[in-house]
Amino acid sequence: MPVTKVLTAGIGEADLRDIGVYRERGGYKQWERAVRELRPSDVLELAEKSGLRGRGGAAFPTGKKWSFLPADKYPRYLICNCDEAEPGTFKDHMLLEEAPHLVLEGMLLGAYGIACHHAYIYIRGEFKRGYEIFSTALDEARRAGLFGSKIFGSDYDLDITVQRGAGAYICGEETGLINSLEGKRGEPRLKPPFPAVEGLYGMPTVVNNVETLAYLVPILERGSEWFSAAGTERSKGYKIVSVSGHVRNPGNYEMPLGTTVREIIDIAGGLRPGRTFMAVQPGGGSSACIFDEHLDWPYDYESMTKAGSMLGSGGFVVFDDTTDFVNAAYNLVRFFAHESCGQCTPCREGSSWMERVLERLVHHRGIPGDYDMLLRVSRSITGLNLCALGDSIEPFLKSVMLRFPDAFKSRIAETVAR
Amino acid sequence: MINLTIDGVPVTVPQGTLLVEAAKTINQEIPIYCYHTKLGPAGLCRICMVEIEGMPKLQIACNTPAADGMVVHTCGERVEEARAVVLELFLVNHPLDCPICDKGGECDLQDYAMAYARGTSDVADPKLSKPKAVDLGPTIVLDEERCIVCQRCVRFDDIIADEQQLVVKERGARDIIATASGRPYRHNFTGNVTELCPVGALTSRTYRFKSRPWDLNRTKTTCTQCSVGCQQFADVRYGTLLRTMLVEDDPISDGWLCDRGRYNVGFYESPDRLTQPLYRKSGSFTQIGWDDAIILWAEAIRHAIAARGPASVGAIGGGRLTNEEAFALQHVFRALGVANLDWRAGLQRQATPGARGASLSAVDGAEVIVVAGEPPAERAPVFWLRLRKAALRNRARIVHARNADAAREAVRDATRVALIWDGVDPAIGKGYVQALSGVPELATFITGEQSNARGAEAMGMLPHSGPGYVPVPAGRDANAMFDAARAGEMAMLAILGANPVRNAADPEAVARALEHTPFVVVSELFMTDTAALATLVLPAKGAFEKYGTTTNLAGDLLPNNASLQAPDVALSDLEMLSALAEQLGAPLPAMGEIESAVIANVANPPRDFTLGDDRFADASTAISTGTSTSLSTGPNARRASKILSGGGTWLHDPWLARMREEVS
Repeated sequence: MPVTKVLTAGIGEADLRDIGVYRERGGYKQWERAVRELRPSDVLELAEKSGLRGRGGAAFPTGKKWSFLPADKYPRYLICNCDEAEPGTFKDHMLLEEAPHLVLEGMLLGAYGIACHHAYIYIRGEFKRGYEIFSTALDEARRAGLFGSKIFGSDYDLDITVQRGAGAYICGEETGLINSLEGKRGEPRLKPPFPAVEGLYGMPTVVNNVETLAYLVPILERGSEWFSAAGTERSKGYKIVSVSGHVRNPGNYEMPLGTTVREIIDIAGGLRPGRTFMAVQPGGGSSACIFDEHLDWPYDYESMTKAGSMLGSGGFVVFDDTTDFVNAAYNLVRFFAHESCGQCTPCREGSSWMERVLERLVHHRGIPGDYDMLLRVSRSITGLNLCALGDSIEPFLKSVMLRFPDAFKSRIAETVAR
Repeated sequence: MINLTIDGVPVTVPQGTLLVEAAKTINQEIPIYCYHTKLGPAGLCRICMVEIEGMPKLQIACNTPAADGMVVHTCGERVEEARAVVLELFLVNHPLDCPICDKGGECDLQDYAMAYARGTSDVADPKLSKPKAVDLGPTIVLDEERCIVCQRCVRFDDIIADEQQLVVKERGARDIIATASGRPYRHNFTGNVTELCPVGALTSRTYRFKSRPWDLNRTKTTCTQCSVGCQQFADVRYGTLLRTMLVEDDPISDGWLCDRGRYNVGFYESPDRLTQPLYRKSGSFTQIGWDDAIILWAEAIRHAIAARGPASVGAIGGGRLTNEEAFALQHVFRALGVANLDWRAGLQRQATPGARGASLSAVDGAEVIVVAGEPPAERAPVFWLRLRKAALRNRARIVHARNADAAREAVRDATRVALIWDGVDPAIGKGYVQALSGVPELATFITGEQSNARGAEAMGMLPHSGPGYVPVPAGRDANAMFDAARAGEMAMLAILGANPVRNAADPEAVARALEHTPFVVVSELFMTDTAALATLVLPAKGAFEKYGTTTNLAGDLLPNNASLQAPDVALSDLEMLSALAEQLGAPLPAMGEIESAVIANVANPPRDFTLGDDRFADASTAISTGTSTSLSTGPNARRASKILSGGGTWLHDPWLARMREEVS
């Protein structure tokens, strides 16, 4: 079994929330080493060489993202994006609650890597327990002198601020997050300018996912070669996959990228007895479904894109033959319609329109033309939007409508027959 | 400069020009809703999609700067498909109530839907319902269902008006526009959002369900509600003024109107308007004809001069008249040897800044803006908007200096400074100018109480100078005339377009002065406090009912064009003065000569004085110093008016009365 515990090591075995336990296991050693022995550029170089890519969904190379910061514009900020709200994804949630010190150490290293003196963590509003656990960990670390002014006797100062969201999916979008953090309405900003140039409070800002930052700790500990040795040619390292849906043991499983789709299903205990595999949504609610023919494909960024989907945030949702795909599509579109911030027209109007049509289909009240209309509208709004939310509606809907057209068309035929 | 190609046409634009603006240079229309030249890009509506060669996705023209060698297509299959999709989506929840919508006929949604949308719709589901006819505040009524959430109003409120009252509430398709606090939307510039709104969502309370745009006759004229002189359109249907609209490219107003200029115009329709000359006979007024009125007036002047000399005759007014009328007023009386001439019926002593005067645009580049006396916020609202713009966009500092020393401290190291003075206390004006005399580029402005105060001065309605500020043997100024009248020294006073009993520092003293004057002539639109004390009341035309010119606080000569018919037999002050001059046997110069004189006198502002010059100082003692002139604590506190109480006409304005009711 390819399960490899890196970030998840110790979770479920030791109380990693206890700073003493965490330190006994080697915690904060890398942070101390970085401040005492490394320059920020060394950390950046390690991140770059490891091939680490953003684990929040966009898979942008982390080192490259940091290097976009203009050299002469200060202050700059690091934001740890813990607004995990992608349907089917629950890895950051676990890290925050089970390994808060690992998250914090990753943030400290990231902040040092971009040489900023103030880092923020934006925690999704619903993660109240995670917020409390992280805040306690933060207090412990502050008392232990792990951050603040003149860290480990060096000239480096760093402060950390925790901000809770109010429960909006759109605040996981980095510029929506920045607006929310500034106390504004959580709406994505018009780009350019990009956050690396004009982000939080108009200053250069890097927004990294929790998992991305956490991987900095083992990368510093074991070296960039160790990390890049795992995975595939362009998808290096490990990934926590949140497996859910019709499997026997849903949960978070950490593994090297490139593990096959079939292996992941098996890791999670396989399907329930007597059930048939229908589809899997490999990268959270925004991704298209992949089917039987992709079962032996490696689970990495390139292959998933090639399969017509994406790896996204690693939310891996398995569907067996008990699935009502009309209902599943309605559930997702309703989510996007509910979470659309309403700024730009295609997303605002398109999502709510499709939600109403799908609601009719769910209630067996389809009318001729609905099928083509859903495909047409979902396709035509894609690419017209201000941010990625509006473009996230089409993939799942289109993939299941094209694969299982009868599930949708039968709802229309029923109405006509009545 | 950047060279690019738009629809096959080579275009050269400055660096940083957005594609939407670049396309305008070749008259190629790119549809827009959320973008506005003065608000900048927002990227919300997604209608302005264009195709750029080498880019896989369509791009929004409103946030894409032109780049060298760029090849842009604003039409073609992909672009037209995207536009049709966006328009289709706009109409999913739009109520399509164009037949009863005020905006119908001048609506961007209607126009673009006709031009770019498919003719049919696939929508089979009920539309979302939202609140309709929402009272946003005293001036604005909002239809949430028509709103397309372009956020122009929100951004206007944020970056132009600097009020931050309007926000988007709720989320997604349930978005609504509302005030953040939930309290009524009110500030001095609310009406502008109705014009920024590309659809019929934000409507003026005064114009709702009144007319169709194609039924309106439009006249461009100058707003006479304050001394800024914003250009505006008067929209009239069947002889009734229905609305006033801003002029987009007007350099005076920068393309905005304040709520006073926009809404304080209902008084033209008031049933309280004076329509016939009135003559006081044994205590009460009797209606008389114009011939009799002019003869009575002329006889009173002749009699007064014959019996008690020209020093017993005086004329007050001009600040609310046109330049031509002010010129005629002083011309008629100076021809008779009368030197008691003054426009200053209120608190303001001076309207012409003199040597340090400047054009309005001088504040745009100012580093520091010093405000002395009453701030221009209510006095010259659109000028104030310009100051805010300088502060918000160019980081100018606005300093309400407590005294001249504080002002000097505030401008240390500054090269370009603007000084804004209310013209009331000459000592303040003089003190501040002296304090700031070391500034290399000092631009001074006087915000006037009356719209044409500066024009009246240029036309010679001053006791010490004639047309073109040419010094003449001094007569009495207005307050001195009132002093003399109370002492029984005045035989005849003519007050044209002024209401000193309401606006002077000591209204009771003025009232006593008029009671002690045997013959008082007042030309007015309404039976004002001053007119009520007159011997002869002449019904006058308002600014929208006559032609002429006006001079704003910066010395711009601006046209006044008639758009309305005056009620009954009301005459303009110029017509009255012309008849009076005929009757007195000394006709006015030909109209062409008056116009030439106006142009010549406004064109060359004087250089031999500056703010608070001694010649403008008050000759009277009793009125100007007898009581406190402090605006906040003195007897005039009641006049520190809020914008919707407007000029002297507010008591008679049915529009404003309705708005005030809505608020209370």
